[in-house]
Amino acid sequence: MLEEEQVAFFLASRLITRGNKGTILLTIMIIAMVFVNLIFLPSIIAGIVVLFNQQNIDYSYGNLVIEPREDQLLITNVKELQQKINRVPGVVASTPRYTGAATIVSKGKSTTPLLIAINPEDEKQVLKIHTGIASGDYLNDGDTGQILIGTTLAGNKDQKVDRTPTLGGVDVGKTVEVTFRNGITRQYRIKGIIASGQFSVDSSAFITRKELESVLGTTDTANQILVKTQMTGNEDAMRITLMQYGIQEKIWTWQDKSADFLKSIVGSFDIINVISTIVSLVIAVVVIFIVIFINTVYRRKQIGILQAIGIDRSIIIKSYIFQALFIFASGTLAGCALLFVLLQYLTASPLVFPGGPVAPVLEPMLLFRAIVSLFIVSLIAGFLPSWLTTREDILSAIRG
Amino acid sequence: MIIGSNLAKIYGKGTVEVRALDGVDIRIRKGEFVGITGASGSGKSTLLHLLGLLDRPTTGTLVIDGVDVGLLGERGRTLFRLNRLGYVFQDYALVPELTAEENIYLPSRVRGMTVKECTRACRDILSLVGLRDRVDFLPGEMSGGEQQRVAIARALVNNPAIILADEPCANLDTRNSTIILDLIRKLNRELKQTVVMVSHEEWHQKYFDRVIVLKDGKIVSGGD
Repeated sequence: MLEEEQVAFFLASRLITRGNKGTILLTIMIIAMVFVNLIFLPSIIAGIVVLFNQQNIDYSYGNLVIEPREDQLLITNVKELQQKINRVPGVVASTPRYTGAATIVSKGKSTTPLLIAINPEDEKQVLKIHTGIASGDYLNDGDTGQILIGTTLAGNKDQKVDRTPTLGGVDVGKTVEVTFRNGITRQYRIKGIIASGQFSVDSSAFITRKELESVLGTTDTANQILVKTQMTGNEDAMRITLMQYGIQEKIWTWQDKSADFLKSIVGSFDIINVISTIVSLVIAVVVIFIVIFINTVYRRKQIGILQAIGIDRSIIIKSYIFQALFIFASGTLAGCALLFVLLQYLTASPLVFPGGPVAPVLEPMLLFRAIVSLFIVSLIAGFLPSWLTTREDILSAIRG
Repeated sequence: MIIGSNLAKIYGKGTVEVRALDGVDIRIRKGEFVGITGASGSGKSTLLHLLGLLDRPTTGTLVIDGVDVGLLGERGRTLFRLNRLGYVFQDYALVPELTAEENIYLPSRVRGMTVKECTRACRDILSLVGLRDRVDFLPGEMSGGEQQRVAIARALVNNPAIILADEPCANLDTRNSTIILDLIRKLNRELKQTVVMVSHEEWHQKYFDRVIVLKDGKIVSGGD
């Protein structure tokens, strides 16, 4: 049986090396492009997901989010709890927050964004919001009467540009009026504008916890403590560790918090991905099929003669399958080389998305899936035309 | 020994029926060099196709070396062609991407010879047809006569009992035709192979032991 394969391979190798090299090269290039297409878009999408994940960690949640115990609205004794958390091995830092809605008014423009009360120095240890100051300055722990406004919330002078309710293009140094849930209204000077690239941050406002406690009349309370851990990826283990260290509050991982958002993003991208993959594979099938089909039609007489001299049709079919597999292997290798160059370039100069720079992420499973898909497609595209041609009766084939 | 009884090949149906071969009885003994002649459309090629198992008769039976080939399936017919028959085509029918040696190598390799055996057999047979120095030549690099000699070598490589040649000199000049006919005659004599050759050239007849003349699908003379 192996002899048949050897003869088929011998025949295929000679037909490739002594056949039309231009056609073979062109086909290999097309398959290389298809291969790149199979990998490129999903790797960009994977890059976007990585970016979103990192942004969620860096700007919204840290690694873990601690919330009030069951049936409680606030975390009390925050200082003590924070110290306790910070002593847990694997924890880098933590930051308490108080989040709630407030109405902000500027020159008659009114909107109700999320108002987040923070300890600015603690925040710096956990999140990267302080690095996103577009103009003005970041808050200090002792600041009162000052507010940070997200760039989306600040809005533009030309409000047609704004897609959400804004303050109509406020800037650093201007004063806004904030009305809290308890009905108290205070005026704040805008100390800085934040442009982090994260929508949830850029559409919020920030004041110090000290300021909020003076408004609400509370002390040492928060409704969230964000925790930064030494390693990303072991959040579940860290949650258990925190519980073992006596933290009785609810503990969430950043994945828990962003699950729905990510699911919807990945779900939408998956649809694009599937369509792109199907189109690429159809192109691959059609191209290889056409090349092999034209080849077999062109060699119809030769195939008939080979059968006439006693070469079994299975050998002829296998020789065409080998040719298709050669095209697949060369195309995949060329595609890998192209992809390598492309990925190197995009890693050095990432694509700039609204959320930040996106570098493609090549997952081994994706590579494996693309290779297997192309392999199967090549088998089919090599088999079908040669099977059809060798089905024809020998004399008709010889007559051409 | 080839025994064909009541062989008929009918193309088309009803009023457009064409009887390419019409109830032919034929016997060809082992080692004979038989020529099949006749006017165009007389059925000589059709008869050769049936003898070469390239086509199946509409009616009749064909027994070659004791095997009723009509009972063979497609794979059986392919194996029979490979092991027992050698076919020489009018237009050489070599694979253009294979060298002279590789064209001959193919059927012997399929038959199960080792690479070493194949190479030796190919070189021997190329020497026999006088093309030892053309081993690595591609068909496009050889003359028509040389290509036909390679085709004959390919037909001979598996040492078949029967050689079937379909107007092997049709595309050759007289000088090259003579070389080919001399070669076939020599092989027939030395290797004791049965040769059935289709030809419409009168001067070829001197090479044949017997001439079968066909007319309108029937044997007019020489059917034995």
